[in-house]
Amino acid sequence: MSRRDRALAAASAIAGVAGIGVSAYLTVVHYSALPLACPTGGVIGCERILASPYGVIAGSALPTSTAGIVWFAISAALAIGQLAGRDSQLVLRIHLVWSAIGLATVLYLVFIEIVALGAICVWCTAAHVLVLVTFLAVLTRIQTAGTQRLRD
Amino acid sequence: MARPPSRRRPAAGKHAQSMRKPVSRRPAWVGPVATVVGVGLLVAAFVAYRGWTTAPPPNIGTTDAAQVLATITGLRPAELDQIGLGSATNSIKNVSGPALTGADGKPEVFYLGAEYCPYCAAERWAMIIGLSRFGTFSGLETTTSSSTDVYANTPTFTFRKATYTSQYLDFQAVETLDRNQNPLQSPTAEQTALLRSYGTGSIPFVDFGNRYSLTGATYLPDILAGLTWQQVAVALQSPGTPQAKAILGSANLITAATCELTGQQPAKVCSSSSIRAIETRLGTGR
Repeated sequence: MSRRDRALAAASAIAGVAGIGVSAYLTVVHYSALPLACPTGGVIGCERILASPYGVIAGSALPTSTAGIVWFAISAALAIGQLAGRDSQLVLRIHLVWSAIGLATVLYLVFIEIVALGAICVWCTAAHVLVLVTFLAVLTRIQTAGTQRLRD
Repeated sequence: MARPPSRRRPAAGKHAQSMRKPVSRRPAWVGPVATVVGVGLLVAAFVAYRGWTTAPPPNIGTTDAAQVLATITGLRPAELDQIGLGSATNSIKNVSGPALTGADGKPEVFYLGAEYCPYCAAERWAMIIGLSRFGTFSGLETTTSSSTDVYANTPTFTFRKATYTSQYLDFQAVETLDRNQNPLQSPTAEQTALLRSYGTGSIPFVDFGNRYSLTGATYLPDILAGLTWQQVAVALQSPGTPQAKAILGSANLITAATCELTGQQPAKVCSSSSIRAIETRLGTGR
């Protein structure tokens, strides 16, 4: 694995761990009486987003952030696996598909925030950016690997 | 003997050339950059779609508007007292300066806002209710905030043609831009100086006789989303609604600041225990 690939895999792993942190925080706030640390004013409205019907996974009482924990955990595991030596094309491709699913979900959630609810949750946005960073890192690795193969 | 290699070489060279072409045509950064641009465009499209689909409430005629105004300015004092500060944010600040008075020497309340601004739209409901306890508005017209800003199409009234008569105070209002952000009214040099001295540059800005100032709305406009003027008026008649708690709480805050200007006149308004209680909290942020 080249230094660049290691850096990109490390970025995916760090984004995964940070995403687990953000999602875990939102989940803890959901189940406890802790106040949510979130600026208010303008289009910023964490409570408006998290207290909406979209704040829980459809048909359940689970907060949407629990799905975030699962997604980031799997993404981080895939990235750490690559750093630990399982640097196969198959793992990379699985990670690309996983991050593409994540990015599609993020776009749906951003649509809900802006169009349906007319507000933005900064914690959710932080998690969305981490998903985008993961996708970009994996996509760059895939493209670099493809280019490298062609050069070889 | 020499022919086969010479035949193969061009073929190998052609193959190598066809393999290299994609390398030079699509660098590794193209995919990520295209993704970022695509995501940015999608988000921009969502924002634009939100603006177009948040339709303004159907406009109402002058008779219905007058009925709404009669309802909200004729609310029972007991209901206003019951709500107190409600869910309003006590963001009125103490300021000091030469007393701001109108042409006839009465203390002046000065408002500066704009029709496109959703926070101004929200605050006008409270200002109309609060100041109507000291005098009478005329010339108020219905409008909505911008359809492309946050809290799009918030229903409200505009001060652009409003006049206010009161034996206790003077009221001056400037709406700088219309709901499409076209120029509407310009503040005088003195009014601009008030904004510079006592405001933060944001709107709405309200100067209570140079004793108190208010910048921004005392509640979020989202509670008015999707409501007609009549629905807001109905909601204000029930103290338990979010609209009543926010708007009437804000109106009480404005009433309390105004009572400080008028020397606690009229007594039937300013002697209320809830107004007195709010007066003690003015400028404290609590």
